Amino acid sequence: MSTKARRITLLVVAVVAVGWPAMLSDFSRSLATDGLIFGLIVLSLVLLTGFVGQISFCQYSFAAVGAFTVGSLVAAHHWSFWLAMPLGVFGAALVGALVGIPALRLSGLFLTILTVAVALFFDRFVLAPGTWNSFSGGLSSWVVGRPSFLGIHLDTSYRFYLFVLGVFSLCSLGVWNFRRGKTGRVLRAIRDAEIAASTLGINLTAWKLAAFAASAGLAGLAGALLAVSIGSVSTGGYDLIHSLGVAAVATVMGVGSVASAAAGGLFLVWGPEILRHIGVSSQWFNLITGGLLIVQLIVTPDGMVTDFQRKLKHLLGHRAARQAPASAAEVDVRERVPVRTGARS
Amino acid sequence: MTRTKASLLEVEHITVRFGGVTALDDASLRVNSGEIVGLIGPNGAGKTTFFNCVSGVLKPDVGRVTFDSHELGELPPHRRSRLGLARTFQNLQLFSGLTALENLMVAVDAHSQRGMLADAFRTPLARLEERKAEERARALLHFLHLSDRADTLAGDLPVGLQRRLDLGRALIGRPRLLLLDEPAAGLDTRETAELADLLLRVRDRFNVTMLLVDHDMALVMRVCDHIYVLDFGKMLTQGPPAEIRQNETVIRAYLGEAVV
Repeated sequence: MSTKARRITLLVVAVVAVGWPAMLSDFSRSLATDGLIFGLIVLSLVLLTGFVGQISFCQYSFAAVGAFTVGSLVAAHHWSFWLAMPLGVFGAALVGALVGIPALRLSGLFLTILTVAVALFFDRFVLAPGTWNSFSGGLSSWVVGRPSFLGIHLDTSYRFYLFVLGVFSLCSLGVWNFRRGKTGRVLRAIRDAEIAASTLGINLTAWKLAAFAASAGLAGLAGALLAVSIGSVSTGGYDLIHSLGVAAVATVMGVGSVASAAAGGLFLVWGPEILRHIGVSSQWFNLITGGLLIVQLIVTPDGMVTDFQRKLKHLLGHRAARQAPASAAEVDVRERVPVRTGARS
Repeated sequence: MTRTKASLLEVEHITVRFGGVTALDDASLRVNSGEIVGLIGPNGAGKTTFFNCVSGVLKPDVGRVTFDSHELGELPPHRRSRLGLARTFQNLQLFSGLTALENLMVAVDAHSQRGMLADAFRTPLARLEERKAEERARALLHFLHLSDRADTLAGDLPVGLQRRLDLGRALIGRPRLLLLDEPAAGLDTRETAELADLLLRVRDRFNVTMLLVDHDMALVMRVCDHIYVLDFGKMLTQGPPAEIRQNETVIRAYLGEAVV
C-alpha cells in the first residue's frame, strides 16, 4: 500500500478506535477493552506462528503467569501495578523461553503435542485450586484495583479503555517494526529455510528462544491487563480450551498480519455477545469458529484479514506502484505464510 | 604441479559413515587463497557430504577441517559463517517468502549485533543499519542484474535467477571462502556459460576463494584452477584441469570400465 493510503487508513482506524467507544455503554466499552486484551494474545501468535512458523496451544498459560503475578502481588502483597506488571511479563517470557527449549527441534504435530501438554500441566497442576490456595490463602481474596497512569486514575471504563488501546497500539507497532526490520526478516528466514539461515550466520537457538520469549511476554502482558480489567483473578479463564480458541481465531484472521490481532480480539469478545443479542446461546460460538476455520482454510488459506488487506491494496492502486509485476500471482502472494496452525508436517 | 600459495582451507583425512555406509573415506583436500578449486565425481560419490562437513551441517567421524588456521571442529554453521565461510545450496534453500531484496538484507542482518529491542523501537541505530543493509543489498542486486526483481518473492523467480540470488546471498557477507554446491544444476548450456563468466567476475570483484562442486564438466574445466576427483567416498586424484581431462582413472570413474 502506498504510504499515503496507509496513513489515511491508520487515521480513520485511530479516530474510530478512540471516538466510537466514547458513545457506547459501560458494558460495551468493557467488552471492547477485553477485545483489545485478547487481541494482544492473537498478536503473540502473529509473532510466533506468523513469523517463525511455530505453533502454540498454550498462550493462555503464559497469560496466566502474567495474571497471577499481578493478582498475587497487587492484591495479596499490595504492590504497585507498575512493578507487578513488568514482573509478570518477565515471568511469562521466562516460562516461554523454557517451553521454547524443547520446542527448538520440534515443529508441526510434535510441537502441537508439546504445547498442549504445557497447557494441560498448567490446567491440572499450576492453576488447580489446591496449588494456588496453598500460597495465596484462597483466590477469592484477590481483588485487583485499577492503577493510575501519569496521575490519572483509570477508574472509569473509558479511561481504562484508552489506556489498553494505547498499550495495544504500542505492542502492535512493535510487532509491525519487527516485521519490517531485521527481526522479522531473520525469523521469516528461519521459517522458510533453517539450514540456509544458519549457514548465513543466524543463531537458530537464540532467535527461536527469543521469539518464544517475546510471544509469551506479550501473552503475559495480556494476562496482567486482564486481571486489572476483570478486577480479580480466577483459575478458570486460562485453560487449554481458551488457548485452542485463540489459535483458531488467529488462523481464521491470518497469522501473517498485525491487523489480524485487533480483528481477532474483537471477534473473540463480540462474537458470543452478538449471538446472545440475536437470541442464540453463546455456546454456539466455538462451533461457529470451527466452521469458519474450515471455510477459511478452503476460501482464503492465508486468513480473512490478510485476504481483505490484499484486496484493499489492489483497490488503492498498490498494483500500479509496483515495478512491472511478472504475473498477478506475484502481486498476490506478498503476505503468504506457508506454515499454518496445525498444518505443518 | 605444486601449489605454493597459502592454504585457506585444509581438509585432512575425513571419514563419514551413515550406519553401515561409508560416505567419505579418508578424503583430504586443500584450497589456496585466491583459487577456484573444483570437486567432481559421479553421483553418490560423497560430494555433498564433503560439503556439509566443511560448512558444519555434518560432523565428520574422523578427520580435521581447518579454515584460515582455525580448527573448525564442532563449530556450528553460524559461527563458521562469522569466520568468513559461506555456501550456496544445490536445492537453493532460498527464503521463498521473502523478496529478493530481503533475501540479501537478511544475510547482512545475520552479522549485525542489533537485538530485538532496537528493532521494536526502531532506534536511530536500527534505522541507520537498515538503510546501509538495503544499500548494500541493492548494489549487489545491480551487480547480479537482478535490480528489476528486487521486490519479487524469491520463490516466484525463475530457477536461473534463483541461482544468482542464492550466490548473492552467500556473497553479501563478504566471505573469504565461498562453497558452491552444484551451481549449474538445472541450468541450460547458455545459462551455465553465463554462470561461468559470473563466477570469474565474482572472484575478481570480491576477491573471494571458491570451492566448487559440480557435474558440469564444461563449467568446472572453464573456471577451476585445480580439480579434485571423488569416487565412492575416496579422493581418486587431483590436478589442474588439463591433466584431469586426460586422466584415465577419471574417465573410467565417469564413463565406466567398458568404454576405456
